[in-house]
Amino acid sequence: MRHYKELWTILALAFAFFFILSYFDGIAIGDSFELRSAGFVRALTDAPRKTAAADTTVLAAASDAPEAKATFAPAPTDTTAQTILFIGDSMLDGLSPRMVDYCLQNGHKLISFRWYSSSTSKWGSPSSSLLSDLIAKHKPSYVFICLGANELFINNVDTKCGPAVDNILADIGSTPYIWIGPPNWKPDTGINDLIARKTRPGTFFLSNGMSFERRKDGAHPTDPSAAMWLDSVMRWMPAHAAQPIRMDSPRKPLPAKAPGQISIRIRQPNE
Amino acid sequence: MFDLLFKFHPGEPMLFSSGTFWALFLLFLPAYAWVATRRSRTVMVLFVLIFSFFFYYKSSGAFVVLLAATSVIDWTLSKVIARSSSRAMRRGCVALSLTFSLGVLAYFKYANFFLMNLSAMVGSNFQPLELVLPVGISFYTFQSISYVIDVYKGTIQPTRRWIDYAFFLSFFPALVAGPIVRAKDFLHQIATHRPASRPDLYFGFWLVLLGIVKKAIIADYIAQYNDLIFGNPTGYNAFETLMGIIGYTMQIYCDFSGYSDMAIGLALIMGFRLNENFNFPYKSRNLTDFWRRWHISLSTWLRDYIYIPLGGNRKGTRRTYANNMATMLIGGLWHGAAWKFVFWGGMHGAGLAIHKASKPYLGPWSDTRAFRIFSWLITMTFVACLWVFFRADTWEASWLVIRQVFVGDWPGFAGVQAFASARMLWLIIMILIIIAHALPTGFWPAAGRLFVRAPLWAKLLIFILVVQTVLQLQGEDVAPFIYFQF
Repeated sequence: MRHYKELWTILALAFAFFFILSYFDGIAIGDSFELRSAGFVRALTDAPRKTAAADTTVLAAASDAPEAKATFAPAPTDTTAQTILFIGDSMLDGLSPRMVDYCLQNGHKLISFRWYSSSTSKWGSPSSSLLSDLIAKHKPSYVFICLGANELFINNVDTKCGPAVDNILADIGSTPYIWIGPPNWKPDTGINDLIARKTRPGTFFLSNGMSFERRKDGAHPTDPSAAMWLDSVMRWMPAHAAQPIRMDSPRKPLPAKAPGQISIRIRQPNE
Repeated sequence: MFDLLFKFHPGEPMLFSSGTFWALFLLFLPAYAWVATRRSRTVMVLFVLIFSFFFYYKSSGAFVVLLAATSVIDWTLSKVIARSSSRAMRRGCVALSLTFSLGVLAYFKYANFFLMNLSAMVGSNFQPLELVLPVGISFYTFQSISYVIDVYKGTIQPTRRWIDYAFFLSFFPALVAGPIVRAKDFLHQIATHRPASRPDLYFGFWLVLLGIVKKAIIADYIAQYNDLIFGNPTGYNAFETLMGIIGYTMQIYCDFSGYSDMAIGLALIMGFRLNENFNFPYKSRNLTDFWRRWHISLSTWLRDYIYIPLGGNRKGTRRTYANNMATMLIGGLWHGAAWKFVFWGGMHGAGLAIHKASKPYLGPWSDTRAFRIFSWLITMTFVACLWVFFRADTWEASWLVIRQVFVGDWPGFAGVQAFASARMLWLIIMILIIIAHALPTGFWPAAGRLFVRAPLWAKLLIFILVVQTVLQLQGEDVAPFIYFQF
């Protein structure tokens, strides 16, 4: 019995250590190293899980987005085939497969570039030419962005992220785009407001307030939920986007993939 | 909190490397220690049984009812088999049990595969059934089949009480991804159970830590690169693709043997010994040796319940090869309902036959160092190429990956340097795991004994270091155990 108590003590002390560490939700050591936490505290303080079946909530939230009420004249839907560049963070794990379906259904070419653990600060860093390089190389006619999830809880968001968001939008230039906001799992410190302020009317889809079924990390929507998320964006687009494009709902069997039509690239966090 | 710990979340099976499992294990351990040391065996069996069923509910939801039903039906039939003196009755009960066990497995795992092939043959439109595969069904089905057959053969006596059989079938460390536990090795441990001794307990803890390192640090990290290659089979040059294939070869070993280590370690902490499931398989110099070292619990099961009943090697050379091939084809199909798995099994069957046939011609020079290196290289190339069919999403994608190695661009030295600089950590981990695998076989048990003797603070420090490394290296999403799908 005594050695069972010892083992339990080891486990309990380790558990306590990680619990305390997760209270700080990551401790920065130096400029480039962060002691990642197990996220226990975040998991405990999270709102209760909801199911993905709440797609109606998704739609309601979308139509309530502040910019949805902005006054602008939405252009008619462009039905021509597009070259779409879809960039973002790990949220593209769930969104990208559904985007592939949409592109196959509607004959668009897709370049999806997923950069794990990335943020507006990384994509919009003055020292990073990744986005401008991608745009120069692929010459997209439409850009989808999903960034902000890794900056939901940082302080001084305007100072830290404002210039980076400006740089991203400058890189995109006059190319039509949609910025899909991060799927908050708790209230953010201002990243959604910042993006909504910086983007043009009819280009920001507010995801905050939607109900998602989450993976066990409590942050990422599950694949079916992410698919519903993208469906909501596409349903929102014709009436609310400044420059909507044809995005008919995918129907099985999907049209066959043409050579070079779909390109998925992934970059690891520290690359 | 309650929701996270106690409710079933579809698509989120309990992983031994997850925080949820360890939070639950923290509650389980003191209670288990108390019932195992202070109470009767029956109380211990009941307590673990309830926890195991709860564990399965957390992993597979309502399918826990199916697990319970399997245990009731097979236990009842095994009792009838043992009591009956009528050969027809005994055979009938075995047939009934096999029909139920294999019927359930076939329905959940192979119905869509069968219907898809049927539709292709008759040219109709295939609409897949919406079936969810119960987690670990292939493992516990094989356990229950071996139990009923062993009772029929008289190798073992059926358990007197249902709870003992249900305990064996649902024992949570081995429930969802093996090893496949055999009744003859396990049931007597219930009857004579003692709590783990101090060395066993800490050796079990060592195995769990080793499993976490293999699965959550090595396999999950190197998977991030391998996924890129297999996700875009023609998108990388030949060298990168080759690295992806070698990477997956190590990933599947670390993933599955890591899980087995955790399962064996957890069982040992509880005072139960499960048989070794992996014995440094990539040291094998031929396929026969490989299958003696890889997923030992499955290969011995296939040998005892398929190969030998088919006649084994007792009915001539041709029949031996045919039996071998049939066994490996079934083994392939066990891994997944797709032709690529059948092909994988068939190729291994062919490889085994070639090795058997060539053995008499190898002569004394087969013991030379050069030949040993050559045969190891051939074996590993064969094994690694076949893993591509395991990993790639489709049959076509498998060939694309292999083709890319031969027809893709080979970068020069600068390209290899660029790869090394971009994938430095991946490369370091790969080199370390290859070295760790190549160390003398006695090294790891010796390291385990050192760990057992280490002071408590050192064990705590090592545990914290291991878990923190997992956190530092983990991707945005935790990869499920590869073998969960089986």
